[in-house]
Amino acid sequence: MNHARVLAAAALAAAMAACSQPADDTAAGDSATESRVVNVYSARHYRSDAAIYAAFTQETGIEVNLIEANGDQLIERVRADGPRSPADVIITVDAARLHRAEEAGLFAETDFSEFTSGVADNLIDPQGYWIAFAKRARVIAYSTDRVQPGEITTYEDLADPRWHDRICVRESGNAYNQSLLASIVARLGEEEAEAWAAGIVANMARQPQGGDMTQIHGIAAGDCDVAIVNHYYYAMMANSGNPADRAAAANVALIFPNQETSGTHVNISGAGIAVNAPHPEEAQALIAFFLSDEAQRMFAEMTNEIPVEPGVAWENPTLDAMLPFNEDPRNVSELGDNNATAQRIFDRVGWQ
Amino acid sequence: MHAASNKPILPGRATTLAVLAALVCATPVFAVAWIAITGETDDYLLHLARTRLPVYLLNSAWVGLIAAGGAGLIGTGLGWLVARTEFTGRRALSWILVLPLAVPAYVAAFAWLDLTEAGGPVYHATQGLFPTVRGAWGAGLMFALVLYPYVYLLARNTFDGQSADAYNAARTLGAGPVPAFLRVSLPMARPALAAGLALVMMESLADYGTVSHLGAPTLSIGLIRAWSGAGSLVDAARLSLILVAIALIVFGIERAQRSRARTHHASGRHRPAPRTRLTGWRGAAAMAACLTPLLLGLIIPLARLGWLALHSPPAAGLIAASWHSFTLASVSAVIAALLGLSTAYALRGGSFAAIAAARAAGLGYAVPGAVAAVGVIALLSGVQSAIDPAWQSLTGQVFPILLTGGAAALLFAYLSRFAAAAIGPSEAALARVTPALDGAARTLGATRAQAMRRVHWPLIAAGVTSAGLLVFVEVLKELPATMILRPFNYDTLAIIAHNYASDERLGEAALPSILIPLVALLPMIFVARYLSRTGKASGTE
Repeated sequence: MNHARVLAAAALAAAMAACSQPADDTAAGDSATESRVVNVYSARHYRSDAAIYAAFTQETGIEVNLIEANGDQLIERVRADGPRSPADVIITVDAARLHRAEEAGLFAETDFSEFTSGVADNLIDPQGYWIAFAKRARVIAYSTDRVQPGEITTYEDLADPRWHDRICVRESGNAYNQSLLASIVARLGEEEAEAWAAGIVANMARQPQGGDMTQIHGIAAGDCDVAIVNHYYYAMMANSGNPADRAAAANVALIFPNQETSGTHVNISGAGIAVNAPHPEEAQALIAFFLSDEAQRMFAEMTNEIPVEPGVAWENPTLDAMLPFNEDPRNVSELGDNNATAQRIFDRVGWQ
Repeated sequence: MHAASNKPILPGRATTLAVLAALVCATPVFAVAWIAITGETDDYLLHLARTRLPVYLLNSAWVGLIAAGGAGLIGTGLGWLVARTEFTGRRALSWILVLPLAVPAYVAAFAWLDLTEAGGPVYHATQGLFPTVRGAWGAGLMFALVLYPYVYLLARNTFDGQSADAYNAARTLGAGPVPAFLRVSLPMARPALAAGLALVMMESLADYGTVSHLGAPTLSIGLIRAWSGAGSLVDAARLSLILVAIALIVFGIERAQRSRARTHHASGRHRPAPRTRLTGWRGAAAMAACLTPLLLGLIIPLARLGWLALHSPPAAGLIAASWHSFTLASVSAVIAALLGLSTAYALRGGSFAAIAAARAAGLGYAVPGAVAAVGVIALLSGVQSAIDPAWQSLTGQVFPILLTGGAAALLFAYLSRFAAAAIGPSEAALARVTPALDGAARTLGATRAQAMRRVHWPLIAAGVTSAGLLVFVEVLKELPATMILRPFNYDTLAIIAHNYASDERLGEAALPSILIPLVALLPMIFVARYLSRTGKASGTE
C-alpha cells in the first residue's frame, strides 16, 4: 500500500532526525565522567578552522562543538537563549560584530593578559570582553600596467578626481567596507569621512558587484585601475589552482595605504567568552590555543591572515612579501563605535 | 437530490487540526511583527526613507517583475509542451525540468557573475560584448531560471488534468493551436499559474544572497543592512513588514484570480487531452525549448563550478551533510504535504478561520529567511521563558534548552517558512475536484473515505506530491534558518556551499552545490514513479 509506505518513510526519517543529535546532549551534560567539551559559536567558516579545532582537541582532549553562522544571527541566538545558552566561546570576523555582542551583554569580562603578553593593546577590548587572534588589512590593489607605484599612497587619495571612473569596490553592505569607513570616521570625523565616501562613489568605474576577488579581476580585465580589497583575497588568487586567478593577480599589486600617515586599516577575527558559559575553563583553553604559536602559524599559512602574536614562525612567501607594515594604532573597538555612522554615510552618498 | 449532497466532502476533524497547524506556522511572522511593533524607535527609518528606500523599492519591483515574468513564460511554456505534446525525451524531461529549483539562486548568481564578469571566460571569449550578469535584470533572470519550476510544476499538473473538451471545442471552431491555448487553456490554468507566480515573486523579494552579490539592492538588502550595519533588528523587522504587506497584496491578487477562474469541468468525467506528437524539427524545437532553461539554470552554472572544483581541494564532510540535508528535507516534505493537503480541505470547507489561517501561514514565505529565523528564535525562547517560573518552582532550575537549537526548531522554521509552497499546490489541485463529483460519488453510495481515496486522491495526488517535492527542494537549499537554528556540528550541503562561496572559494563550493540537485533527484524519481502508478490505476495517465 503506497500510503503506508510513505508514512513509514516519514516515520523513519523523523526517527533519524531525532537521533542525529547526540552532540547536543553532550553539550548540555555536565557529568564529570563525560569528556570535556567547549561549545563554539563562530562566524568564521574557513577550512583551516577545522584543522585548528582538531589540533586543539588532540592536545587538550577537549571536544569542540561548533555552530557556524552569520555574526548577527549568532548574536541574536545567544541573546535569545539567555542563561540557557550553551555558548562558551563566541567568534566573529569583524570588530563591529564583537562590539555588538559586547553591547548585547553576551561576553564575560576576561583578563586576557593571562593568555598572552604579545598581542598589542589596540587589538584587545579596553573592557576585556574580547581579544583578536588574527588580523586582516584592507588595502588598495592596483594595475601594474596603468598605475605607477607611488602614484597612490593613501585611502584619501582614492577620493581624488584623478581616479575618476577608475575604482572598483564591492557593495557597502559588506562589513569590511563598513569598518574601513568607520575607521575613517574615527580618524577624520563624520564630515570628512562623508566627503571621502562621496569621492569614492564619484570615482567608481562601475556599480558595486561581487566580492573582493571580483574587484581584482576587474582591474586585470581593464574595467578599473584600482580597487579596495582585503589582503588575503589577493594572496588566495596569487596561489590559486585556477590559472585565471593567478593571471589576474600577476597584473595586480597591493599598496598598504597610509604608511607615512595614520597606518593601514586592519580588521580582526576575535573571540570572547560567553557570560553564561557552561564550560569557562575549556573556553579559556581554546582562546589560549588560538594565540599559541601552533594556531597562529596555521592562520598565517592556511588563510593568509596576519598573526597577532609577535615572533611566530610560518612559511608563506606571499604573506611575507606583504609584511611588515604600519597599522592604524587606534583600538579596533572604535570600529564598532562608528559602524552605524558609517552605514548612514554610505546611504547618504549612495554607495550601493 | 438531497440538499446535503451538494456540500463538498471534507475529512472532518482533520480540517480543524489543519487550521490550528496553519496558525502555528504563522506564529513566527507574528513574532516578527511583535518585534517590529514593540521595539524602540529612533530615526533610522526616517534616514532610510530620505536616502535609500526609493532605490530599494524600485529594485524590488524590477527584480520581482522580471523574475515572475521570466518564470511565468518558461514555466507555462514548458508545462504546456510536456503536458500536451509528445516528443523524444519528454518523459524524462518532465521531471528533470524541476531540477533547477534545487540550485540555490545565489549559487547560480555566483557562477554566472564569475563567467561573465570582466576577466571571466565568457567576457573573454566575447571581448566583453556579452553583458555581465548583474543588477536588477541579472538577479531577476537568475530567479526566473531557478524558480520557474514552481510555475512549471503547477502548469504541467493543470494542463495534464485539463479535459481535452474545451481546447478541442476551440480548435473545432477554427481557432489555431496558439489562440486556442491563449484563450481557452491558459485562462483555465490561471489559478495554478497565479499560485506559482506568487511563490516566485515572494521568494525573489525575500532573497538576500543573490541580490547582494549581483548588486541589485532590494528591500531585503535594506533590512539586512538595518540589522547588520545599523544594528537595529527592530527596524529590520519593520522593513520586513513591508514585504509582508506586498505578500498580502500578491496573494490577494492570486486569490482573486482563483475565484474569477472557477473552472469546474462541465462533465464529471475526466478525459485527459491526447498529446500531439511532435516530430522532425518540431520535436527538436520542443527538446531545445526544454533544454535551454536547463542549460542556463542548472548545467552551465554547475559545470562552471565543477570546472573550478578541478582546481581546488575538495570540500570535506559532504557525506554527513548530504544525509543531514536529505533527512531534514524529507521529514519536512512529508509534514508539509500533510499540512498542505489538510489545509486545502479546510479551505474547501470555506470557513473564515480556514482562509485566515492558511493565508497567515503563507506569509512566512514573504519574510527574508534570516528575519523569519529570528522570529522562530524569539518565539521559542519566549515560550521557554514563560515556562521558567513554573519549571523553577518544580525543579529549582531554569527550563532546559529544549526548544531552540534542536532539529524540531528547524522543522518548525521550515514549515512556517514554506507553508505557502505546501498549501498552494494542494489547494490548486483540490480545486479540480468539483462538488458535482462529490455528489456523484455520494449518489453511487461511496463513503466519505472511499470518495476521498478513490475519487479525490487520483485527481489531487500530483498536486499534493508536488507540494511535498517543492518543500523538499526548498529545505535542501534553505540557508539562514538552517544556519542559526541547527544543532551543534550539523552541516547541510547548502551551508557548506554557502560557507565556501561567501569566502569566494567557488571551486570548493562546487561539490556541495552539485550534490543538492543530485539529492533532489531521489524524491523526484519516487514521486514520478508513484504518480505514474496512481495515474494508471485511475486511467488518467
